[in-house]
Amino acid sequence: MPDSVSDPAPEPEVLADGAAPSPRRVAPFVVAAIAVVIAGLFWILIGANTSESDTADSPLLGRPAPVVKTTTLDGQPFDLQRRKGSWVVLNFFNSTCVPCVQEHGELAKFAQEQSQLGDGAEFYTVVWDDNRGAVEKFFADNGGSWPVLTDDDASISVAFGVAKVPETWVIDPYGVVVYRLISGTTDDQLTRLITQAKAGS
Amino acid sequence: MSRPTTRALNASLKRWPGWLLLVAVVVVALAIGATRSSGPMTDGDRIDSIAQRLACPTCDGESVYESQASAARGIKQQIKRFVEEGTSTDGQIIQYIQTQFGTKTLLVPNASGFDALVWALPAFALVVSIAGLTVAFRRWKLASDTVPTDDDRAMVAAALALEGELEQADGS
Amino acid sequence: MYAVQLAAGINGTLGRSVLLIGLVCATFGALATVYGIRTNDERLLRSTRRYAWGVAAAGVGAFLVMERALIQRDWSLKYVQQVGSADTPFLFNVTAIWSALEGSILLWLVVLVGYTAVIAHRFRRRLSDPLVAWALVVMFVVCMFFFVLTLGPADAFTAGALGVTSGPGPNPLLQNHILVLFHPPILYLGYVGMTVPFAFAIAALITGRVGERWLSETRRFALFAWGFLTVGIILGGWWSYEVLGWSGVWGWDPVENASLLPWLTGTAYIHSVLVQERRGMLRVWNLTLLVSTFALTILGTFLTRSGVIKSVHAFSNGSIGPYLLGFFGLIMVVSLGLIAWRGDRLRSPGAIDSPLSREGAFLANNVLFTVFAFVVLLGTVFPLIVEALQNRTIKVGAPYFERLSIPFGITLLFLMAVAPVLPWRKASAELLRDRLFWPAWGGALAIIVPLVFGAHGLAPLLAFGLGGFAAGAALRQLVLATRRQGWRGLVGRANGGMIVHIGVIVVAVALVASTSYTHSSRLILEIGKPATYGGHTFELVEVQSFTTARSNGIKAPIRIDGGKAYAPAITKFTNFGTNIPTPSVRSGVLNDIYLTLESGAKAGATSAPVKVFIKPLIIWLWIGGALMVFGTLLSAFPGRRRRLPTQPTSAPVPLDDDPDPDNPDGPDNDTTRETVDA
Repeated sequence: MPDSVSDPAPEPEVLADGAAPSPRRVAPFVVAAIAVVIAGLFWILIGANTSESDTADSPLLGRPAPVVKTTTLDGQPFDLQRRKGSWVVLNFFNSTCVPCVQEHGELAKFAQEQSQLGDGAEFYTVVWDDNRGAVEKFFADNGGSWPVLTDDDASISVAFGVAKVPETWVIDPYGVVVYRLISGTTDDQLTRLITQAKAGS
Repeated sequence: MSRPTTRALNASLKRWPGWLLLVAVVVVALAIGATRSSGPMTDGDRIDSIAQRLACPTCDGESVYESQASAARGIKQQIKRFVEEGTSTDGQIIQYIQTQFGTKTLLVPNASGFDALVWALPAFALVVSIAGLTVAFRRWKLASDTVPTDDDRAMVAAALALEGELEQADGS
Repeated sequence: MYAVQLAAGINGTLGRSVLLIGLVCATFGALATVYGIRTNDERLLRSTRRYAWGVAAAGVGAFLVMERALIQRDWSLKYVQQVGSADTPFLFNVTAIWSALEGSILLWLVVLVGYTAVIAHRFRRRLSDPLVAWALVVMFVVCMFFFVLTLGPADAFTAGALGVTSGPGPNPLLQNHILVLFHPPILYLGYVGMTVPFAFAIAALITGRVGERWLSETRRFALFAWGFLTVGIILGGWWSYEVLGWSGVWGWDPVENASLLPWLTGTAYIHSVLVQERRGMLRVWNLTLLVSTFALTILGTFLTRSGVIKSVHAFSNGSIGPYLLGFFGLIMVVSLGLIAWRGDRLRSPGAIDSPLSREGAFLANNVLFTVFAFVVLLGTVFPLIVEALQNRTIKVGAPYFERLSIPFGITLLFLMAVAPVLPWRKASAELLRDRLFWPAWGGALAIIVPLVFGAHGLAPLLAFGLGGFAAGAALRQLVLATRRQGWRGLVGRANGGMIVHIGVIVVAVALVASTSYTHSSRLILEIGKPATYGGHTFELVEVQSFTTARSNGIKAPIRIDGGKAYAPAITKFTNFGTNIPTPSVRSGVLNDIYLTLESGAKAGATSAPVKVFIKPLIIWLWIGGALMVFGTLLSAFPGRRRRLPTQPTSAPVPLDDDPDPDNPDGPDNDTTRETVDA
């Protein structure tokens, strides 16, 4: 096809530049700057993590536990302040959450063992966005006789910053938060942590 | 009204008194609008506006306001309690939630430390591009005084040659 | 059982083979075209059309096979197990194809091969022209990449686990509104359509024919793609409004940003390309915009489909990320390399004389749009930057983008008001004073009227005022054009463009009004006791439960102002278990009443918690969107006399019959009588 322009015969650019009294060219610098920015973006994207990791960090660790004043499922009043003097383990729970259901056996074992010790930890479940009927049915079906704390207005879970269940918190006899365990835990882990903490304190 | 009269009227309206009147009207109207109170903010509006500034900690990209997730509902209830108590400012409430759940609940990045870059870079980009435009206009001004080069003439000739061809192609 | 397995095998095998054929066709098409260009073999080049047909047939075929599998409920395919369900209604079963990653890549592919075939057909007589041939090569290469995706990391035809005979169906949010049928394909028509101008840009760079001609060849493709992208984005907002239940249309979610980014650079392009057509300038810049637009579609897809950024819209993350990122890198290297290589030819003759000219306004427009695109991109990837450099998790959400988009929006509205009255080359103060007078009063009116209605706040009123100003400028041009040419005055790029502007203004005003003046309240409604809020009465009729094959839930019909009852609901799809609130909306010219049922409602109860939103002017978002489409269509038609891209131009001179003597008609107008610079 006859085309006067399609066949690129590179002409020396110097001619054009020499003819026109144009200032120094900035384009190469602009292109270089853009290339650097894109390369940086590329480097960051290559290294980007595709999985979000939850952290067990909490500003509450090493500080007095927030106020927990509520009632149990049976209607008993509960106040964390009054539990000072003994180790307290709070487990946030929802009957539809799979890891919660999975760790239930371990928790039952842990609660059982601790209740047999003289200075064992007190174990409580905190209901996390679930209705009472479902929770009662779950405990009836799966066992577990420790007190279950209601949290209908989500004040406890927000105070502890619980975004996902299960989560387990350990509070020492002075009412200070010592551990936060995210996702499932085991009897062994809990027992070990509490023994360590006791030895340390 | 005959056409010349309309034209004359139109032209006379457009002189500076017309523009002055326009500026006055706009300034007054904007002043009225800007100072007019938006009515008392209800607790509900306040809860919503705070919730819109917080990210749901368990969701992907939704705010506490939009999300129906348990954690988001819990946070909404907490905001409601604070608002109804009426002793905390919006900033304090947001600070509280941020402390409990971490910085990932903040939808608006902090304007301090490294995060301030997200605010500074847009301003920087705007300044750079305006500076670039200014430089470009200055160079164009310099260039426009020159006569066409041979190169330019060749470009024009080539373009004109293409023209016929394009028409041919369009007609086909 | 055996028969089912066999049929399944058929769909899987068929789909894969068709895709393989497509890959082969695309590869051979690319190779043959390159070979044909190298050897100047015209016959070979003419035959490349066949490869394009092959590619198109394969892409469409694979899509149809997947639809067939979905309709047949072919459980042997993993994808059907993932998004299919025995009791999904026909419509949502058909749309289920784009409800997850693999199928959405198939949709992308089908649109892409469609465009490839359209190019091959549209330019069938000029396939031996190196420019067209290279453009086809680029299309073939992009097709190859997507065929590789569908055969590798996004394989929709993988065999699923044996013995599965049911699936959950598509995400509940993707099966309760008809817009699911329209939004994704239309959005993709725009998103993927940006490949065409990109292909021609690369072809122009390779052939060295960086003159204006390739622009006119792709102008309509660019406009077409831009129009569909616009509609797609607006439909997305509509879907979000009708389905998600938080009463918003735009959440600045990463996926939404990914669709906005190419729209912003594309909008910049369709403006600055006019400068190139008229004045032969800004060549590098326009190429850069086209390349960025296409690159941003790939980058956006990478960001939202690879799992690096979390989003409500994101699909499950597969291994597609590295492929998309690699492709993005390839595009950047090739394009930047070509632009650098062709730098000498891209140097454009001529100069922009004055900032106060049509060209100057387009440049300002371009600066605003690109900086805005930069801001949106920065906000979207900033969490990744922080995580990479400081290993912290942060979020950048809607309030950030909203805060930063206000100044951009306001300035753009101002430009929309001034730019249409500016002539090319240079404008004088007298001319501006004269042409802007009535549009400016339009702006004043647009402040006063809402003020009378009780509007408040500086920013919204300023936006209304500038909107009125801009609408005045657009109307002025339309009036002048129609006075002279009758209805033909509405056709053509400049005047159709003004209708698009009016659509944009309508959308902008509606957005500002609906975000600034929404009222909402949570009401506990009781049966038989009408409650009043925002000047309307709400009466709960009953709280009833309902069950369908797929879902159960409760709904609460609420009578508004004693008239028709609107029933917001909470639906639980049996296969998913999450509660999906479904809003119910009474649309009106001035106000929408948006009702959602809050959690805590119980069937059979005598009261129900309901959230009521009163949102002004929402309907105008959709009307403005429709206007934009209409205007885009009008601008795609040429005016009476088609301007040749290379024709020298100048500012128009006054016309004798012009009602405004010193006010010649709106400048860039395909059909304007103009004198030619000697």
